[in-house]
Amino acid sequence: MGAISRGFKNAFRNGVRSLSVVLILSISIGMTLIMFMSLKTVQGKIDSVKSSIGNTISVSPAGIRGFEGGGDLLTNDSVSKISSIDGVSKVVTTLMDHLSDNTSLQPSQDAGNFGRRQQMSTNSQINSSSAPADSANHEFRMPIMVTATNDLSSIASLNISQLNMTAGEKFDGNSTDTVAIVGSELATKNSLTVGSTFQAYSKDIKVVGIFDAGNKFANGQFFMPIKALQVLSNQQDQINSVAVQVSTVDKLDSVVAALKTQFGDKADIVSSQDTEKEAVAPLENIKSISLYSLVGSMIAGAVILFLTMIMIVRERRREIGVLKAIGSSNVMVTAQFAVEAMVLTISSSIIGIILGTFLSNPILKVLVSSNTTQRTAGSAADGHAMMMKMGASVVSGAQGALRDLSATVSISIILYGLLAAILIAIIGSVIPSFIIAKISPAEVMRAE
Amino acid sequence: MIKIQDLSKTFKSGEHDVRAVNQISCEIPDGVFCAIVGKSGSGKSTLLSLLGALDRPSNGSIEVDGTNIAKLSDTKLIKYRRDSIGFVFQNYNLIPNLTALENVMLPLEFKGIAVSQRKIRAEKLLEQVGITGIKQERKPGKLSGGEQQRVSIARALANKPKFILADEPTGNLDSNTGKIIIELLKKLAKTANTTVIAVTHDESIAKNAQMTFTLKDGKLVKN
Repeated sequence: MGAISRGFKNAFRNGVRSLSVVLILSISIGMTLIMFMSLKTVQGKIDSVKSSIGNTISVSPAGIRGFEGGGDLLTNDSVSKISSIDGVSKVVTTLMDHLSDNTSLQPSQDAGNFGRRQQMSTNSQINSSSAPADSANHEFRMPIMVTATNDLSSIASLNISQLNMTAGEKFDGNSTDTVAIVGSELATKNSLTVGSTFQAYSKDIKVVGIFDAGNKFANGQFFMPIKALQVLSNQQDQINSVAVQVSTVDKLDSVVAALKTQFGDKADIVSSQDTEKEAVAPLENIKSISLYSLVGSMIAGAVILFLTMIMIVRERRREIGVLKAIGSSNVMVTAQFAVEAMVLTISSSIIGIILGTFLSNPILKVLVSSNTTQRTAGSAADGHAMMMKMGASVVSGAQGALRDLSATVSISIILYGLLAAILIAIIGSVIPSFIIAKISPAEVMRAE
Repeated sequence: MIKIQDLSKTFKSGEHDVRAVNQISCEIPDGVFCAIVGKSGSGKSTLLSLLGALDRPSNGSIEVDGTNIAKLSDTKLIKYRRDSIGFVFQNYNLIPNLTALENVMLPLEFKGIAVSQRKIRAEKLLEQVGITGIKQERKPGKLSGGEQQRVSIARALANKPKFILADEPTGNLDSNTGKIIIELLKKLAKTANTTVIAVTHDESIAKNAQMTFTLKDGKLVKN
């Protein structure tokens, strides 16, 4: 029977106390493990959301969003300087316009109440600035949106989440040809096929492809090469928005700074990571909660064990004196108590690991649901305009990540749990060892 | 041979110093059964602590076979206690969750004796003091006072010590059992040539000793 086996035996000497300590400690260790797993899971999700969003910066004319607002658009000249900024890998430019009278196309959407309301609001503004009296008598048609771009592959810039060609092919974004790809709803309404032409801006525009963008609104528009639309719509040199692709996340901040310097207050500059910050805020919240809880649980565990060992050492003060009197060194006595502490802690870890395995997912779901309801409404409202530019995929991606959060137990996490337990045991035994060293064997001679 | 020279031990009690052991000088030859008597507070237990190297004297020396144990370092003191001294206490002071056999094996473990040899020696020692068979596997709670003291004596003998220091060994025992224990100690002193120093307030035990020292207020009066 050595110090190790004595320590082991002593751990179960007082059954009720040992059981109570093990139960409390196992809750502490279990919570430590749950929060650690939560932390790792959430960090993994944050990293995957960030990498899926990519490194894009949106440059919009100040004061203008889509067709709302006022001010001046960006120009070809100012945008051409963007490519020369260090770290910029791609520059996607877009220009938008509305067609109502100046096209042969019929809109695929009926106005409905909403459309008529928008038109009445526009008419009242026209009337107030001494427009022709009969403008209110014009039959109302929904305007048809045209978006022009230099790169059809950057669909986020086109405010759509998908671009599936159902016929024909995409055009070259750098072309000056008066060609277009038409949404499926618009094509059906106007009986357009690949090779058809339609009139817009008093010119013939040839249909080279038909697309499905996944929703009625998006399928009621058409896309053209930007240079062609600039000429046709008499908006030479004008650009609605620019999406700047940066080669790596590290360069994002420097490119944003360079753009802000270049454009000053003429443009709003927003990076995807800024927008994404709103979207992953719930995840960051959960991460903070997990971290503080993890640290709190570990400290609680160490304190519980520390106080328990102090109590045990004081209780067995005389016994320690006897051991020293019959020839034991401080080291051997301390080792015995350290083993006792380790047995309590490892027993608690085993129960704690089992608790952590079963409870980590339910607790993670509670954390997620309490954070999701607070944050998603806010982010939708605040970031709406920028979300339009960056693409709905950012928000839905982050919200999907939140829904998909589930902790997985792996061997490494169990090993981390045991490591945490051993650390707690060491901390819990170290200070009582000082008390042990101070006990004089002469104490055994004193009457009880 | 133990040679004690001007041995003193002073404790602080509030603002005053208390001389528990006051300038004691004497010699104790090997192999004797020696009694130290005195009333409560006479300094007997303190003297035993000093002889057993459980405490350091404030002044003076204790020479054991030429070595002054009062000057030994802490590490050497531990070794000295382990190898040269066996303790028998009034309250037995056995480890309550170890069996009689495991209690006797303890000092052998501290000396580094192999497990199998520890067990054999411990069994022999227990047989020597009259604890045999199933009783060796019992924990102290299941043994009588006399049996516990016997186990305590066997433990004290484990490392073949030079001295056995017994602090009121019969204090918690009835008179008959007490006599048996004293006889056992005397027999062992003779057969093993071990010096037995027993502290007691029981004058009847002193009568059985080969040497008796009487303590009064920390000072020695030799009979």
